[in-house]
Amino acid sequence: MLADLLEMVGDDPEFVAELVDTFLADAAGHVDAMEAAVAAGSAGDLLRPAHTLKSNALNLGAAALAAISRTLEEQARGGSIDGAAGRVAAAREELGRVVEAIERARTDAWATP
Amino acid sequence: MGDTVSERNGAAPPGTVLVVDDSRMNRATLRRLLERLGHEVLEAENGREALATMRDGARRVDVVLLDLIMPELDGFATLEQVKADPILASIPVIVVSGLDDLDSVVRCVEMGATDFLPRPIKPALLRARVGASLADKRLRDENADLLATVARQRTELARFLSPQVAALVSSPDGEALLNGHRRAVTAVFCDLRGFTAFAETAEPEELLGVLREYHGAIGRRVVEFEGTLEHFAGDGVHIFFNDPILQADHQLRAVKMALALRDDVADLAAGWRRRGYDLGFGVGISAGHATAGRIGYEGRYDYAAIGNAVIMAARLSGQAGNGQILLSQRAYADLENVVVVEPVEGLVLKGLSHPVTAFNALELRRAASGDLEEVRA
Repeated sequence: MLADLLEMVGDDPEFVAELVDTFLADAAGHVDAMEAAVAAGSAGDLLRPAHTLKSNALNLGAAALAAISRTLEEQARGGSIDGAAGRVAAAREELGRVVEAIERARTDAWATP
Repeated sequence: MGDTVSERNGAAPPGTVLVVDDSRMNRATLRRLLERLGHEVLEAENGREALATMRDGARRVDVVLLDLIMPELDGFATLEQVKADPILASIPVIVVSGLDDLDSVVRCVEMGATDFLPRPIKPALLRARVGASLADKRLRDENADLLATVARQRTELARFLSPQVAALVSSPDGEALLNGHRRAVTAVFCDLRGFTAFAETAEPEELLGVLREYHGAIGRRVVEFEGTLEHFAGDGVHIFFNDPILQADHQLRAVKMALALRDDVADLAAGWRRRGYDLGFGVGISAGHATAGRIGYEGRYDYAAIGNAVIMAARLSGQAGNGQILLSQRAYADLENVVVVEPVEGLVLKGLSHPVTAFNALELRRAASGDLEEVRA
């Protein structure tokens, strides 16, 4: 999963770790914001967090999370929130898997010295 | 990888890049990648911040990397404001977006975005696009500097040349005009009566003081009537009209300038007389064709008008008594409806076998003083 990120920033584990931390710190907030937007019935408010989460997930190489976020972004741009609640729930679930994968990769590949 | 910073930079020297993105992760990624290429990086979380940074002027922004979907002010609105701002409009803007949103990219390019960078970011592409935009920006900045330099040189040049000729030197069709052309002109020569005797006896400081007052008076009138000052030779001054700038009323301008100068120099002469110098002022005016253009040699050129009309004006000036403005026959023919004259007959001019009649211009006819239509072209 982190291969794309490594390709993008080069062989710089420290920086990759920093980016991953940034991702983790922000991702839950983006999902929260999407959830709030859907609860409020506002496609306009859904667009930005979906877009940002998509772009961050793409950076990370988290393809499944990026795909769900992209669907949400596209429907928000089209002004619709039909079925968005289910997709946001799926995004949260997928984010959980991403976090797990990151933790695993951390202990495997770059255990803090 | 193994490539060094300098290899990665390639030919493009570093610049200051403003990264506009609401995602911290994206900003951090771009910052790191750009800093590795040697660029300075500024960050903004949204369009409003970006515009503030660009307008602040504390740091000159060379390139903007612009995300589209942001809070406060999104990428489209930001781009619109950048392009509408005359100072910011020349800064290249690269839109950063996913390939899934090509419609937005197209819209941005139509709005004036320079380029597009797809997400996820590929470092090689980032380097190429930012490098190209920086090179473009640098070229534009250099052009702007060059234009400023030309404007400055032109101002400087105008201190030495007549403003018309200074403008000509830096104008697109200047070269052709400088190379020489025939033109109907009105030539004016003037000089001081009694100057040679004065110059022989006066102290240098007094001589230069008189010349400074005299040249100052002439300079003001030449500018007022938009004559082309060819040269000062001591007290002798040659001015012509209708070249390089075309002037439909060139004969009238010449005679009006001469009349104004006659009065100006009469005032000055009253002061000189009190200091003990007896100096008078005479003018010759002639109309006709002349060849105008650049004369001289590499390193020192003048803009000059040469021809019989010019010679005639010089000869008439030589014959003019104090306070006289002698018009050639041809110049008077063009001006007879607008100027009151008295004929001066039997003038013997050097180079002419027969005596000629000239016309001393006394004043403008009252009704005609502002009326150009009565001047025969």
